Amino acid sequence: MSLDAGGVLRRTIRDQRGRVAAGVAFLCLHQASEAMVPVAIGLTIDRAVATSDTGALLIALAGLALLFTVLAFAWRIGARFGVVAVEHETHRMRLEIAGRALDPRGQRSGMRDGELLSVTASDTEHAALVVQASSMILAACTALIVSAIALLVVDPVLGGGVLLGVPLVLLGLQRLGPLITRRGEAQQEALASATATAVDLVAGLRVLRGLGAQDHAARRYAAASSAALAGTLHAARAKGMQQGVTTAINGLLLAVIAGVAGWFAIQGRITIGELVAVVGLAQFVAEPVQALGWCLQLLATAKASAARVARVLGAAPLVGSGSAAAPPAAPERLVLSGIGHGGLDGLSLRVAAGEVVGIMVYEPKHAESLVAVLAGTVPREDYRGEIRVDGVPVEELDLAAARGVVLVEPHDVTLFEGTLRDNIAAGVPDERIDAAVRAAAADDIVASQPDGLDQVLTERGANLSGGQRQRVALARALAAASPVLVLHDPATAVDAVTESLIAERLVAARAGESRATVVVTSSPALLGVADRVAVLDDGRIVAEGAHEELAASDPRYREAVLR
Amino acid sequence: MSRVLLPVASARDTWRATRAEFAELPGLSATAAVLLIAAAASGLVAPWVLGRLVDDVIGGADTGRIVVRVAVIAAAALVGGVLTAVAATVSARLGETVLARLRERVMDRALHLPSATLERSGTGDLVARAGDDVAQVANVLTTAGPLLAGAATTVLLTAGGLFALDWRLGLAGLAAAPGYALALRWYLPRAQPYYARERIAAGERSQAMAGALQGVATVRAYRTEREHLDRIGDRSAAGRDLSIEVFRLYTRFTVRGNRAEYFGLAAVLVAGFVLVRTGQGTVGAATAAALYFHRLFNPIGLLIMQADVLLQANAALSRLVGVASLPPVPEAAADVPEPDGALEVLVAEHRYEGGPVVLAEVTLRIEPGERVALVGASGAGKSTLALIAAGVIMPSDGKVALGGVPLNDLGEARTRRRIALISQEVHVFAGPLAEDLRLARPGATERELHLALERAGATGWLRALPDGLDTHVGEGGHRLTAAQAQQLALARLILADPDVAVLDEATAEAGSAGARDLDRAATAALEGRTALIVAHRLSQAAGADRILVLEQGRVAEEGSHEELLRSGGRYRHLWDVWNVG
Repeated sequence: MSLDAGGVLRRTIRDQRGRVAAGVAFLCLHQASEAMVPVAIGLTIDRAVATSDTGALLIALAGLALLFTVLAFAWRIGARFGVVAVEHETHRMRLEIAGRALDPRGQRSGMRDGELLSVTASDTEHAALVVQASSMILAACTALIVSAIALLVVDPVLGGGVLLGVPLVLLGLQRLGPLITRRGEAQQEALASATATAVDLVAGLRVLRGLGAQDHAARRYAAASSAALAGTLHAARAKGMQQGVTTAINGLLLAVIAGVAGWFAIQGRITIGELVAVVGLAQFVAEPVQALGWCLQLLATAKASAARVARVLGAAPLVGSGSAAAPPAAPERLVLSGIGHGGLDGLSLRVAAGEVVGIMVYEPKHAESLVAVLAGTVPREDYRGEIRVDGVPVEELDLAAARGVVLVEPHDVTLFEGTLRDNIAAGVPDERIDAAVRAAAADDIVASQPDGLDQVLTERGANLSGGQRQRVALARALAAASPVLVLHDPATAVDAVTESLIAERLVAARAGESRATVVVTSSPALLGVADRVAVLDDGRIVAEGAHEELAASDPRYREAVLR
Repeated sequence: MSRVLLPVASARDTWRATRAEFAELPGLSATAAVLLIAAAASGLVAPWVLGRLVDDVIGGADTGRIVVRVAVIAAAALVGGVLTAVAATVSARLGETVLARLRERVMDRALHLPSATLERSGTGDLVARAGDDVAQVANVLTTAGPLLAGAATTVLLTAGGLFALDWRLGLAGLAAAPGYALALRWYLPRAQPYYARERIAAGERSQAMAGALQGVATVRAYRTEREHLDRIGDRSAAGRDLSIEVFRLYTRFTVRGNRAEYFGLAAVLVAGFVLVRTGQGTVGAATAAALYFHRLFNPIGLLIMQADVLLQANAALSRLVGVASLPPVPEAAADVPEPDGALEVLVAEHRYEGGPVVLAEVTLRIEPGERVALVGASGAGKSTLALIAAGVIMPSDGKVALGGVPLNDLGEARTRRRIALISQEVHVFAGPLAEDLRLARPGATERELHLALERAGATGWLRALPDGLDTHVGEGGHRLTAAQAQQLALARLILADPDVAVLDEATAEAGSAGARDLDRAATAALEGRTALIVAHRLSQAAGADRILVLEQGRVAEEGSHEELLRSGGRYRHLWDVWNVG
């Protein structure tokens, strides 16, 4: 299923066809009414002002009132349909993209967080604008057709001239389009880059201040700002030229039409009112012509955005998912055999129920590879060997079922908005949360919050220290009470006393016949409480044993672990 | 702790500051104004000539007259085109230059925000101002600025043109003004709160999305995708409904605008009718007036329909002016001598804004070249003492002096040149790695950069980078690990080369495996400097000349590593626990 920009745009229109159709109908009515205003002015001059006929004036004013009422309400209704359609489509696309970004299987769009965010925030909006652009194009065409008909009724030669002249103007002006778009894009990029520089420097302000580097930073921003200014001025020249050319050509068109109409009027071929209407219409047609140009630009933007939307929506999942449900607990809950991936080379490991296994890894990168494989975020084709969960190859298991058995708490702690309780475990009974909090030595964090567990975290826990965040995450991992729990350096940012407290309580919290726990760490406190320590070197397990034994017998291990 | 937000300029101050900026460029401002007026004036020629043409036809003129009229319209079109192009370009140059200056000043002030203010306000508000607010003003200025400037001059001049035709026609045209004014008065107060709510809703939506994306590994591990999607969905739907509501309001406003158009047009037609009927005016003048007024629909529409955009931009502008108008950081009096010598910290008591006592009776004197470590459990006040020692915050009761000169007298800028602080907050600046490092020493040669990284123990990963020092790091670039980012921070410290360095948990997040390397790197970076180290790893403390053990904000023990071990107190206990196994 591949989706391209055109596909996204077509789908948008199709899904909202009812609203789009209604919107187009009313917007066309609006534009037709707008086109009739100069005609009405001409009629009023002709029949009322030139003749000084009061009755005709009253009729004309009433007619104008009716025209303006229709015009106003047609726009109001039509535009509302359009905006409702755009908003609903934007919302739907946003959810689709969020769904793809958060797909349990991952996705291969290759976009970074920032890009995905901007796709959800602005590209969805821009892509949905295709609704407005296409309705406005139809409405502008209607206006042109109504004007043309009015002109043809007045005089076939004049009408024909306008019908020929206006498309020519449109074509001529369009030649400027690509230049303006190009410069506009370059300008947007320079501006965005200056803004990004500003945001980045301010975000690192504490670092800058720590070094007294604010002056240098300010100069760096000034340089980015100047570059943005240069880009903007470059674009402004192109835009100014476009405005100028548009003004001149519209004026010349008006001159020609007025000249011909005036000549016809002198000859008596058309009336004064018709002359006024023709001139008014000639002024008016510039509007739909400009609207058309604008809509074409809008369409180009919508298309570019739709391409990015399509890139996310059409992205293939990163990992596959089997279909088997979680099997009953096996004596060996987790078995890795011959795993090769990112530095791992033939790693084999068995984790039995009831065990706490410590894994000491000499090379941090290998620890990351191991944790990634266990988390099920590495595509099958990217690793060798086999992982069995409760005796079943993990790729045969439904992804959710596998993750329900093996829980990996990432080392990079992320907390989410909401309360502490929401973060630790929404919907879990209080006793279990309390137990998990105590086991993670996080009771002092909860106690120090004015609202305890119901404290709302500001900026996703940014006000907590690194150690506090780590302990909250550990509490979360323990509260989940998962059959197999994998922790990666869970207590690197806490002080020694707390670390040993955590080690003690962790074992107690994970006690249970069917539970297994894997701790990837080089902390002696944590390794010391493990039932068994496996040492990972050169991509495979090179030694196994109790922490004390390894520390006593292996000098390299001692060097890496003891301090 | 309550957030103290940064100042927002009042409407009058915003206006005054903006005017002052334009006054800085008097030549450009005057040229832009003249060009805009000339361009708008050239637009008035056509309707006026058309009115005369109507009179010509009624009067039965010959073809030659018509040709002259047409030639005038054509000439006005050509001149108008040139004027419009030049006016748009020049006014864009003016507006954009003013904006660029303003945003640069905003950033300058933001970056030099006094430490105490920054600690209280946090960086969130500043980021919003330097990012969103600048972007919003720039957007309005760039996309709508020239159009709005053109529209405003056109409206003013056309009104003038109406009066020039006949003052009674001009008065009739003004009949539309109250309608527009009422429409605005009806709409703006209703719309403003909506826009604020809309902005908040958009912020909450992107926060939900950003949170889920940043924590996607956690979301997947705990299988909470549904929850997060629901939250994003709710927020997005709330934003959608608000946008629709506010648009409904807007369409009611535009109907009122159309009504004003009608009354204006009707008044002009009636006035023309009366003038013609009483023989005081010609049909041509009435025609020209009606055409003038018809021509106004668009520019007036543009102006009042953009009123909300302008108001929002104005709100953003007032936030920018608020920051830009902050006083520049005062430099210390020149007569304060360049200090040299020990760092003395004396805290009788410190508390955050009426909170509990965080530090009490702490006296600390660090001799030049001496290395002191702070040890204690979380919450013991180590970080606060580090901030105070670095002169970032002032103790509520106490003083800090370098070489006998109080930091207060030394001033922020000079303090920072002498005392550097590496805090727990690691940030890798987006861009080439060399640029990041040169923030600490702008003129540094590549060799100096290499040497600094080498001393910080980063040679290994530096070699593995795809483009070496030119590798794009930070947001949107090559991602450095936490340990690498900390080595980068140490390399910056080496380049900045201060006399005194305060290290707050700089190696805390490294994970045990790489922590030893970081310890070594920190030792190398601190060589020859007076140093205060907040130590989580006792190995850092063990290498220090002197150790201060903090407990609940007070000094519990003080001495060298050996002395403290021998004394068998608190430190001894920590050391034993640390070395289990």
